[in-house]
Amino acid sequence: MCDHEVKTNCFEYIDSQMPPVPLELNVNGESIYELIDPAMTLLDFLRVSLKLFGTKEGCREGECGACTVIMNGRAVPSCLILAIEAQGADIITVEGLSKNGELSILQQEFIKEDGLQCGFCTPGMLMSAKALLDRNPNPTVDEVKEAIAGNLCRCTGYKSIINAILSAAKREREALSNG
Amino acid sequence: MLSKFDYYKPVSLEKATEYLNENSETKILAGGTDLLISLQKNKERCKHILDIKAIPELNRFTYTEGRGYFIGAAITVNQISEEKLLREKYPAISQGADALGSYQVRNRATMVGNICNASPGADLAAPLLVYDAKVHIASSEGIRATDLCDFFTGVKKTILKPKDLVIGISIPDVERGDRSVYLRKSRIKGADLCNVAIALRINPENKLSIALGAVSTIPMRLFELERKIAERELTPELGDWLAAEIKTYINPRRDSIRSSPEYRYLITGVLAKRGLLKLIDKEGA
Amino acid sequence: MDKRQYKYIGKSPDRSEALEKVTGRAAYVHDMELPGMLYAKALHSPYARAKIVSIDVSAAKALPGVKAVLTGEDAPYLVGLYMIDKRIIAKDIVRYQGEVVAAVAATDERIAEEAVSLIKVEYEVLPSVQTIDEALEAKILVHEDINDLEYMKGVFFPQKDSNIASWNKTVRGDVEKAFEESYLVVENEMYLPAAAHTPLETHAAIAEADPYSDRIKIWSSAQSPFAVRQLMAKSFGIAESDIQVIIPYVGGGFGGKAGIHLEPLSALLSKACKGRPVKYKATREEEFNQLPTRAAMRGRIKTGVTKDGKITAMKVYYDWDSGAYADYGVNVGKTAIYSGAGAYEIPNVEIHSRTLYTNKVFSTAYRGFGHLETHWVIERQMDMVAQKLGIDPYDFRMINILGPGKTTVSGEVITESTGSPSDCLKAVAREINWTGYQSEEEREIQRKTGKVRGKGLALLHKAPAMPAFTSTASIIQIDGDGKVKVMIGAIDIGQGANTAMRQIAAEVLDIPLENVEVVWESDTQKNPYDWQTVASKLTFMGGNAVIKAAEDMIKQMKEVAAQVFRCDVSKLSHGDGYIYHVHHPHKKLSYGNLARGYSYENGNAIGGVIIGRGTYIADGLTNLDKETGEGLPALVWTYGAHGVDLEVDLETGDVHILKIASAFDLGQAINKKMIEGQIMGGVLQGIGSALSEGLKFNAEGKLLNPTFTDYKIPSAKDIPDEIVPILIENPQADGPFGARGVGEHPMISVPSVIGNALYDALGINFHKLPLNPENIALAIAAHHTS
Repeated sequence: MCDHEVKTNCFEYIDSQMPPVPLELNVNGESIYELIDPAMTLLDFLRVSLKLFGTKEGCREGECGACTVIMNGRAVPSCLILAIEAQGADIITVEGLSKNGELSILQQEFIKEDGLQCGFCTPGMLMSAKALLDRNPNPTVDEVKEAIAGNLCRCTGYKSIINAILSAAKREREALSNG
Repeated sequence: MLSKFDYYKPVSLEKATEYLNENSETKILAGGTDLLISLQKNKERCKHILDIKAIPELNRFTYTEGRGYFIGAAITVNQISEEKLLREKYPAISQGADALGSYQVRNRATMVGNICNASPGADLAAPLLVYDAKVHIASSEGIRATDLCDFFTGVKKTILKPKDLVIGISIPDVERGDRSVYLRKSRIKGADLCNVAIALRINPENKLSIALGAVSTIPMRLFELERKIAERELTPELGDWLAAEIKTYINPRRDSIRSSPEYRYLITGVLAKRGLLKLIDKEGA
Repeated sequence: MDKRQYKYIGKSPDRSEALEKVTGRAAYVHDMELPGMLYAKALHSPYARAKIVSIDVSAAKALPGVKAVLTGEDAPYLVGLYMIDKRIIAKDIVRYQGEVVAAVAATDERIAEEAVSLIKVEYEVLPSVQTIDEALEAKILVHEDINDLEYMKGVFFPQKDSNIASWNKTVRGDVEKAFEESYLVVENEMYLPAAAHTPLETHAAIAEADPYSDRIKIWSSAQSPFAVRQLMAKSFGIAESDIQVIIPYVGGGFGGKAGIHLEPLSALLSKACKGRPVKYKATREEEFNQLPTRAAMRGRIKTGVTKDGKITAMKVYYDWDSGAYADYGVNVGKTAIYSGAGAYEIPNVEIHSRTLYTNKVFSTAYRGFGHLETHWVIERQMDMVAQKLGIDPYDFRMINILGPGKTTVSGEVITESTGSPSDCLKAVAREINWTGYQSEEEREIQRKTGKVRGKGLALLHKAPAMPAFTSTASIIQIDGDGKVKVMIGAIDIGQGANTAMRQIAAEVLDIPLENVEVVWESDTQKNPYDWQTVASKLTFMGGNAVIKAAEDMIKQMKEVAAQVFRCDVSKLSHGDGYIYHVHHPHKKLSYGNLARGYSYENGNAIGGVIIGRGTYIADGLTNLDKETGEGLPALVWTYGAHGVDLEVDLETGDVHILKIASAFDLGQAINKKMIEGQIMGGVLQGIGSALSEGLKFNAEGKLLNPTFTDYKIPSAKDIPDEIVPILIENPQADGPFGARGVGEHPMISVPSVIGNALYDALGINFHKLPLNPENIALAIAAHHTS
């Protein structure tokens, strides 16, 4: 039967009925403490518990890259990680890319080069790209391709994305040497 | 995901083996890149998750002169890719690591997980096989070691018993001049499983070792073929012979949707020849 | 207007919604939550064809958190675009593996999933129709009630007691006589497998169905909100106006989200839960298994030519393995009879296009539907005929190519305004330095290196496949600050339509781009009607509607300004956001001043709220004659061509594309950057169809590769070294600023051009897709042993 009169929020993730476990971590610079279902994935934790819907679900099998986030400095598929595995971790999602109301250079270049169409792969693509530029400020075209080969895009044909990443790398290097 | 499980992350090996002993229906979680897929698709069910990433022994990633590498079960594939000394000494292993999945999957997937999952096409199996790697297994009865070539028993099957925990893989040291190469064929250039994988190694005494993946029920070292090769001279001309001969050692699945057996036979020969030529041209490194 | 004077048309402003998309704020249906929302999961048939003997849902219903469990008994409705043939939930019989047999709504996905696992179904497995030949034999009927199904009459032609959902024909001249008189007749059979759209956002819908009235509110990742509304109303027997469809951001469509899919099921579940919103988000596996694909197709073609290369006759049978339900499939089949002879003039033609029911996942529209498929047959055939004639395939195409004064197979006479296929072909041939096929000697020299280069050409054309009465509209409202809001009924699914409409409105109104906003989140309660977002018709039809709305707005503002200036309207002009007197330009009024009526100092006011209105309806189109295919199906043709330069690894069969040049006569570019994006993306999608993609079924009709693990679409590492987009601009007299649509075209003929280049490289003609390393390497091996 349906509880038509119930007005409370019924859309929270109802867990697997196992005892909840405490999770402490840092997401986009913010300390988070929550009691969670041990069977919850990091992807669901970000989307369902934290309402950070920027991170997308595309396949739940680590093949499409739409759920890519940065965990302790590394790009990872959040659909294949239990939230509880992120205990104590530093997570960056697409929502954490811009600072003080200003887009990151990478975001700006994605706009300029039109490195997106439908936009659904974009958050994951940006996270893979950011992780690449953080570890390798001067990547070659092949290194860019390797870094985003796990991020499927059905719209753009990738060229504009690759261009965006390369020009962001250039601008970031220039910003560093000028700054 | 229909499984309902609790989660345990011990900080000592004893606690882990104890837990395994006491809790049936436990799944061991390292990288999770295979386990979380099969749990979410309900292909596997479990009641307990044992996360082994906090166990110190399993985080060992060390090289000792004369003894070689020990790579713990918590070490990720990208950590292996990034290890410069390993790439110098064991190029096929690094190349196998480079080829596995996508970059972000490699940040989670572990070498030991790749081996324990026992997919016939596991990218790290063939490279480890040519280096005579050993698998170190802990249980409540103690620690034992087994040769990797005896480890696989069938598609997704190994000698591991339910209460066993692999702590790591050791790879004997190699001498200067040892060379190797890993080649694979996949359907696309991007992240993809391989249809055929081959690792070839030549040691300073010019002894060739060969292992194959994805062309039988298990990844396999071709000892018999190696003996035949040992009777011959390693010249570029040997390539055509090898390409033909190696096909008699494989038994690709007839009903695979990833590749027909005909193509696997063809490519096994092609890659064997290409690998040999790369090695004797000293381009393997 | 001289095109060089355009301020915004032909330029490359940034995508208007880019900010939302790069910050993760763009909300898709996937991301939506509503108060009280429930989650749906479905149980799918494991069999291609089976009788449902019994369903036991008691355990599922008893699970805490489960709010509704529905089976076919609870959903006595048929739904369909052109053939009303599909149940929302299968009843009595299942027709494909993956068909929904029961559905659950529960308080979370996990409970819904568990409930589904508790449903017990007893099936009696039946023999099924799996191949084109089995379908044609009709020993088993996929739809035993085919004779009674309701369908769109006069356009589609289902055949009695058969598996033929529609048999469309073109018959022009006398092909048999022409074959007899031909110098050479070439016959071939070509095939391509079913393919998946794989939008990154899987289908998703949320429905809120008022249990006390007929009203239903839908949020969907659909391309065509008004079509969802119309089809659902028809299926449920309620008024269209009772249904509201809202489309937020859509994560890719490619035709797969053009019809009606998860919306009715979500609505029934919501109704069963007293109107609580129910969300159904397809899993990736459901996206492959349950939701529609591009049909597999077999083409049997026969071409007659004169000695000097003039095509005299062509006869083709296109047989579409279209799956269990017709959906768009019959319309896909219909395109073949007016488009399926290619961009050539052929005096004697017979085209038969049969959309067949089989017990497989059903098929639908897919980017340029019908065209990639028919062009795989036609453009490969053009090369194979040229080979037999010993003529350069470029010359052979040029001899037969359509152009002004020539007649299409439906009897339409092409004019200067239609565009130029030969300009496209010339441009790509130049770009890849086409000099004809290489000789066997040249191939032999290359073979020693283990790799062989090859070049190829292919032509293409496409017109929107749509009903003759297709219409669209636009409304423009203006604020007191002079900024305007444009509303259209079509959806920007990433193709950049809203940015193009913004440029068009800014150009006509002559105001800065920043002052124009095309309203996102299309809503059938607010936005004006549009037939469907399909067929590359949006730039053309939507663009014309926006122009008319903007002109209407200017006209209204001028009328008020004429009163203020006490002059005739004809003395007024507009520019830079002002209405001004042509002779006394200092007499001017800003748009903002006119937006809500003009107020005099003493308080008197004239005019009123300015709202621009523009509609556009396809004119002059006709249905095609049942027997001859004669008629006018095409509002606007867009021609194009590809040229490719590639390299094949002779041992592994790997194809490496060095360069692909793609030219389209799009009349006038509206947004260059985004057109190039459409070309880059479309070409790569075509490369996917050419080199790696295809659904694989076992003999029992089970889909074997319903995951990205085994359905391989191109990744960033699979792109060509170079894609060269070439924009040709022969304007269309009735296009917006002369523009034509080009969104789908880049994908068409990509498999053909690669197939043609493979012949050049290897001397082998490929007849089947995909041209994956395996198929190529095995063909090379067989070629060398034979």
